Amino acid sequence: MSATSRPAPQAPRPFGAWLGIAAVYAYLYVPILVLVVFSFNASRQMAVWSGFSLDWYAKAWQDEAVIQSLRTSLFVAFISTALSVLVGTPAAIALGRHRFRGRGFVDGIFYLPVVIPEIVLGFASVVFFGLAGWKLGFWSVVVTHVAFSISYVVFTVRARLAMLDPRLEEAAADLGAPPLEAFARVTLPLLVPGLVSAALLVFTISLDDYVVTSFVAGSGGTTLPLQIYSMVRTGVTPEINAISTILLLATFVLVLLSQRYESGAAGRGTSAVAAAVVIALGVFSIGGPVRDAGKRELSVYIWSQYLPEELVAEFEARYDVRVNVELYDSNEAMLAKLQTGVTSYDIVVPSDYMIEVLRANDLLGEIDTRRLTNLDNLNPRFLGLPFDPENRYSIPYGWGTSGIGYRKDLCPKPIRSWADLWDPALRDRLGMLNDARENFAAALKREGKSLNSTDEADIARAAELVEELKPLVRTFESDTFAENLLAGEVWVTQGYSGQIARVALENPDIEYVIPKEGCTMFVDSMCIPKSAPNADLAHLFIDFVLEGRSAARITEVMGFATPNRASLEFLPPEYRDNPAIFPPDRALDDCEFMTDLGSAMEIYDRFWTRIKS
Amino acid sequence: MRRGDQPRSGGARPATLLTPSLLWIAVFFAGPLLVMAVFSLARRGAYGTIDWTLGLQNYAQALDPLYLTVYGRSLWIALVTTILCFAAGYPAAYAIAMKVPARWKSTLLVLAVVPFWTSFLVRTYAWRFMLQDDGLVNAVFAWCGLPAQKLLYTDTAVMIGQVYAELPFMILPLYAAIERLDRRLLEAASDLGASRISRFVHVTLPLTKSGIVAGVVLVFVPSLGAFITPDMLGGAKSMMIGSLIQEQFVQRNQPFGAALGNLLAVAVLILLAVAWRAGARDEARA
Repeated sequence: MSATSRPAPQAPRPFGAWLGIAAVYAYLYVPILVLVVFSFNASRQMAVWSGFSLDWYAKAWQDEAVIQSLRTSLFVAFISTALSVLVGTPAAIALGRHRFRGRGFVDGIFYLPVVIPEIVLGFASVVFFGLAGWKLGFWSVVVTHVAFSISYVVFTVRARLAMLDPRLEEAAADLGAPPLEAFARVTLPLLVPGLVSAALLVFTISLDDYVVTSFVAGSGGTTLPLQIYSMVRTGVTPEINAISTILLLATFVLVLLSQRYESGAAGRGTSAVAAAVVIALGVFSIGGPVRDAGKRELSVYIWSQYLPEELVAEFEARYDVRVNVELYDSNEAMLAKLQTGVTSYDIVVPSDYMIEVLRANDLLGEIDTRRLTNLDNLNPRFLGLPFDPENRYSIPYGWGTSGIGYRKDLCPKPIRSWADLWDPALRDRLGMLNDARENFAAALKREGKSLNSTDEADIARAAELVEELKPLVRTFESDTFAENLLAGEVWVTQGYSGQIARVALENPDIEYVIPKEGCTMFVDSMCIPKSAPNADLAHLFIDFVLEGRSAARITEVMGFATPNRASLEFLPPEYRDNPAIFPPDRALDDCEFMTDLGSAMEIYDRFWTRIKS
Repeated sequence: MRRGDQPRSGGARPATLLTPSLLWIAVFFAGPLLVMAVFSLARRGAYGTIDWTLGLQNYAQALDPLYLTVYGRSLWIALVTTILCFAAGYPAAYAIAMKVPARWKSTLLVLAVVPFWTSFLVRTYAWRFMLQDDGLVNAVFAWCGLPAQKLLYTDTAVMIGQVYAELPFMILPLYAAIERLDRRLLEAASDLGASRISRFVHVTLPLTKSGIVAGVVLVFVPSLGAFITPDMLGGAKSMMIGSLIQEQFVQRNQPFGAALGNLLAVAVLILLAVAWRAGARDEARA
């Protein structure tokens, strides 16, 4: 197609057009504006503006986990971009410049990665890596990103190729240039704008991908979206807004520059700035790995908000090692990763019932307790629990309950029991965990049954109750239930004691209650997977966590109770004497650990799907 | 616009040029999908291990009426998202392509993509803060003297978030198609007495069909598998196909999850084949 076939534009009637465009762009940009503005907010609460501040930028810069994930993200994006441009461009040329048998078919193949839903690809890839015995980590993320990026390169470069006049190349050939030279000196330079936009597109996709990456990432593969996702468990902090603003700025500059390339307005200056930005990002992205090259590595796979940054730093410094921290948000997600058999975690922190499952799957290695000098710090009450009677596989890390948090200032009456939730006055003001077992636990406990019931009649009755409760539910949420309570979006929420205890310290109108019928109690414990590459270091880490001072810091960060007696003297009184964190013994009388229900879980699943459909 | 087929590009043959990319896709894309096809025939064993007695039971289970509402809802969300994106995207793309001075065009297009340089999770959370009871939207309502609305965790919120996430994927291909439109045809239609509406319906729309098909596919397909936005803005009150699949992975019934995934992929491919034929007919006519 040539530009000359188009006549001059009609006389524009710009007003209506501009108005429409303005509306669409306002819609696209208001959320972006909100996040940029609130990255300068002094308060943590996003809904309230309390003055200008650059604190979040400083904080983000000092947050090793965030910086590390940003590095990983950029590194993954750089490598997968380079690879996909390298591999995809020849294909684009073949499709754009050659006619051959089966071209339509090949063309179709390149459409596949674009149209197969991400969830399918992610799911399939992790199963594939598992069977192929390929370790999940950095490279598994890269190759998967390339697999779905190639197509975008092919389409973009081909579109540019279609705009080029093939006669130019012919002319070069007629003037005696050998084919390779004609290509290198004529076609390739003309293709550059296409290559640049393809690279940018693929870079963006890689940088932003969450679904596929969450499946295939392993130790060393935590990208920024994964990190953000685990951080938002406690609500988006302005720290994430700050990071997003910086990324936005950097990429905005890159896009503007690439625009100048495409319009042919790029001079030396543009190239220099573009090169500088790319190099700066590149150097930043490999900064971490280079600094830590050659050090022994410990990979910790743990719940988000469980391990304070400074403890990691202290451990790294004490033993001159590097610690990778990867986060998960459910026991099942962790199990699914371990079951692939291709992970390389040294420490995992499963809850009680999951330890049984992991043992049944032969995924745990034995812990040599003789090497743990601080074992005596643990309260004996938390040793020898039913899921691991001799503590051969697990050392307790923290414990808590999943009860009810509520707003004393908003609720019509105090909440004391599960039965109090079935109150029409709470319509649209009730939050529940987004978890089948916990919802059924509330109903079963209300009926005075065990929350581990496998009796079909019990479960059916509980399902009826949950169904009855559903119209009152504003949201099923396992991540940000505490934030919802803080914002007043819900007045009552089922939730884990730790997160609610933390927001209760921010707002004294929030109270955490263990319902009088009892609720779920859990103990999360440190375990060493059988496949751990560095079990030796893992023992040192466990012993380090068992130090009273470490355990106290951990309690402060997670809000859950510690089984560590020696830590009490290091805990501030608002934690040590907080009944939401350390409830009195009698409140726990009717609490139960969850156990794995085996095939009965299918009954729960069916009811749960019905309730949610 | 057909080109000759003399060997070009350095004289390399298509097979050589295509091998690396096809190989990569075969191993890291087709490989996983193939594995999943086999996986979907297995059973869930105790403790979530895999029992390799092959059979079609997972597919039978997937057709259980219990899940039909889940599929229905996903389809519904995808459909409404696509329609809204088209309704908002076509006028915008048209305005950018036809009404705006040339020097603004590329800037406007870039601006349509820039929001995507922030993580979609962060963008979705920004919407949560805007839609919550004391959020920006309700503040604007109050300022206009309107009563406060419950927005967050409603279907309205889900649609706002879905359309937000997909709109640029509608605008870009539409723009490309409208921009290519030969304006002389429009002038001819007007000269022959067509009203603006009839000109739009009989000339502009058919001529931009390839862009419409591309936009619809690019929006509809990801919406069909979407679950994070519906969960975060809709309060996870209803399951989507995407969340159902993810739940199987997490709840240790991977073979069933694989079967669901395969069904979703096949549904998408069928849809695509239909769209492809619509597009191909269009191209043959042009």
